[in-house]
Amino acid sequence: MGYFILRRTSGFILTLLAVSVVVFGVMNVLPGDPALTILGIDATEDALDALRRDLGLNEPLLNRYGSWVWNALQGDFGTSHSFRVPVADLISERLPMTLSLAVAGMVLTVIIALSLGISAAARHRKFGDWGVMFLSQLGIAIPAFWLSILLVMLFAVKLRWLPPGGFPGWDEPVAAMRALILPTVALALVQSAVLARVTRSSALEVMRQDFVRTARASGLSQRRVLWRHVLPNALVPIVTIVGMQFAALVTGTIVIENVFYLPGLGRLIFQSISNRDLPTVQALVMLFAAIVVTANFIVDLLYVVIDPRLKART
Amino acid sequence: MIALEDFCVSFGQAVALRNATLSLARGARLGVVGESGSGKTMLGLSLMGMVPDAARRSGTMTVDGVEMGSASEADWQKMRARRVAMVFQEPMAALNPLRRVGDTVMEPMRLHDGLSRARAQARAVSLFEEVGIPDPAARLRQFPHELSGGQRQRVLIALALACNPALLIADEPTTALDANVALRITDLLVRLSREREMALVFISHDLGAVSRATDTLVVMYGGDMVEQGPTAQVLAAPLHPYTKGLLAARPDPARSGRDASGKRRRLPTIPGTVPPLHALPAGCRFSGRCSVEITACALQRPALRWADATQAAACHLLTGGDA
Amino acid sequence: MRGLPANLVIGAVLVGLVVGIAALSLVWTPHEATQMNIRGKFGDPSAQHWLGTDQLGRDVVSQLMAAARNSMTVALIAVLLGGSIGVALGLLASALGGWVEEAVMRLADLGFAFPALLFAIMLAAVFGPSLTNAVLAISFINIPVFARITRASANQIWTRDYVMAARAAGMSRFAITRDHILPNVAAPIIVQATIEFAVAILAEAALSYLGLGAQPPASSWGRMLSEAQTLMFMAPELAIYPGLCIMIAVLGFSLLGDGLRDITDPRLVRER
Repeated sequence: MGYFILRRTSGFILTLLAVSVVVFGVMNVLPGDPALTILGIDATEDALDALRRDLGLNEPLLNRYGSWVWNALQGDFGTSHSFRVPVADLISERLPMTLSLAVAGMVLTVIIALSLGISAAARHRKFGDWGVMFLSQLGIAIPAFWLSILLVMLFAVKLRWLPPGGFPGWDEPVAAMRALILPTVALALVQSAVLARVTRSSALEVMRQDFVRTARASGLSQRRVLWRHVLPNALVPIVTIVGMQFAALVTGTIVIENVFYLPGLGRLIFQSISNRDLPTVQALVMLFAAIVVTANFIVDLLYVVIDPRLKART
Repeated sequence: MIALEDFCVSFGQAVALRNATLSLARGARLGVVGESGSGKTMLGLSLMGMVPDAARRSGTMTVDGVEMGSASEADWQKMRARRVAMVFQEPMAALNPLRRVGDTVMEPMRLHDGLSRARAQARAVSLFEEVGIPDPAARLRQFPHELSGGQRQRVLIALALACNPALLIADEPTTALDANVALRITDLLVRLSREREMALVFISHDLGAVSRATDTLVVMYGGDMVEQGPTAQVLAAPLHPYTKGLLAARPDPARSGRDASGKRRRLPTIPGTVPPLHALPAGCRFSGRCSVEITACALQRPALRWADATQAAACHLLTGGDA
Repeated sequence: MRGLPANLVIGAVLVGLVVGIAALSLVWTPHEATQMNIRGKFGDPSAQHWLGTDQLGRDVVSQLMAAARNSMTVALIAVLLGGSIGVALGLLASALGGWVEEAVMRLADLGFAFPALLFAIMLAAVFGPSLTNAVLAISFINIPVFARITRASANQIWTRDYVMAARAAGMSRFAITRDHILPNVAAPIIVQATIEFAVAILAEAALSYLGLGAQPPASSWGRMLSEAQTLMFMAPELAIYPGLCIMIAVLGFSLLGDGLRDITDPRLVRER
């Protein structure tokens, strides 16, 4: 078991390193001269030289990579070129927003998907099943940003129940919550479509197994059998998909923040792109990619916790 | 304590069980014998109310005086495990792999009988002892994949007994086990039935196990009960052509080798195969394969005819009183 | 069409519709899609303009058609490009095995860590937003998907008897790959390609919506949506049409892919 964890962890660290190489490579090697990219072609030679010295661009590539990683591990992500503050400050300012949205979105996704998926499996071949399948197909095909616009048109413009976007700040908790409702719902609806289908098919697979019959023969109610016996066993493939969904969650969060003008990391990325603020973009991309990789790593470890048979095999 | 009368189960055109009639007293041990597709499993499921939803049921069934023939799922849930319990064929996948076996066994106790965790655990330990699992307290904490097939079957029996049912249905409990273990499980079931005064329905195609475990025997073919009577009597002097064929088909060292004229003896078989459920003959199900059938057999369904006070078979050729 | 699964039929119809319209737009659209007419802005649907005009007086139907063409083109290039590289890598990994296979799979894992959006963001920050960058980003994320699925299917074929026989007869791994492996992995690859088409359409729309894809004046459903968002109060229907188009296109390819998977699944008796 210990050996298994060791192998997985080293794989995780290697992947993170590889990701960092890719990010660094794309942002620093591809453009040829990052200083030119940042200042634009009209910049004077002096300004370019000053910036190159500032960013340490005259150092060998390997050194620059090394110092970037080393600094990052200590929490120093460089300085934002456009805001002229440490990138770390920008991140910590906006992180709570993104985190709230992502976590709320994930929680809602899981709730919706598991309930729909299990009920669909319980009503297999009946109306409820087809309904869920149909809805999930729609959910997969619908773009998150379009759904958001539709929700805004309905709830903000027509009904005026919720704000159409923006964020009033954390000082007014009620208003803050209201501002987060539509974004979270939009994010969750789209994500839960895929998860609901996987839940349903996984539950159906499990329901065919013998121990479900045993549970019924013990006089357990349908509900108890479903939730206490079927669901835990159906979790393994579900957990896999949840892990894979982190990539979609990251994408979704970035998109939703931009649709609703929420002041989070997603908006920050786009502002940085417009400002040609390479250090910030670099740090943020690395951060998001690291989140995806970490999520997959945790999912890998979770399997062993969930399924005692796997523990025996490791 | 349980009685079936004219119970039928069908799926559209396919009739799985036709006019099944039996009654069991406490402590009685009934064997149900037949090939796959004979309806014996459906009979067992009917006694638990676990016939598939798509099936049509008719007839009456009383469990401890309560009419259950058309009972709802909710009503059956109250009966299962407490009055009637079932042990199924394949022990390998029959236990929730994510749960310790002790927790699985304790679940119905805590749910139906409201036992506290400590008392449920104590009862689980004694159940494990009763079914012959060594070192029961330690076993409780194990997962199914850590147990052998025979041990899992014992756990399943313990689970079935958890709430002290009055009837235990064992559907092919020994088929998936090797011969030695099968023997022990069979004897275990008999002992439990005796000690608990619990009725036992032993469904099997293994005539040896059935003869060992049961007092009365029912032979099934194509959804019909074609013969019934005391086990020893039926096996020694079968009335129905199908039963005779079944018994003749048992490998017997005494009848092997060569016969009087020097020809090698062949193992007798029943010619033909069981027709699919939707294509069974309208009259006697066995017609078309029977070596002594008459024209009436395919057309008219024979009633149960009693050869003496205890043994009966459904065959036109039998003389004797009607049921 | 009896016997064919419903999703296959519906998917094929929708795909035919969208592709047909996209192809049609190459030769004909009711109006010039990019032609502006400020005086005629926000026009109601009429015989002239079937779905009306947008905020710059451009005909909505023509825009939608041109956007369909762009969307299909992007998806086609991305899937072909990413797909061929991915399939080649997968076949290589499967044929050579050993450390080559390990390396390819590690690269695939790496690819999975990058959602298309992050890739497009990086390219946009460095080179500025453009349609080319979007196509490149979407192609990149297709590579690991196809590599993984090709390798998994190919591995199964390698163990089959006739392949063993071919190896015993001295056939080169390249020849075996070309003659035996490739035809047999074609089915799952085509199914995956159809599904990735749907993904690509969605990705292109998202990137264009965020301004990282098709730049004006090129038409794109995504960009039409972002423009319409600011005009929600004045002309809500402008926000509905492009989104509907995206959904129909994605749904079509998605159902088609599912349907294809259903009919090519070797385990014919499949519980849905």
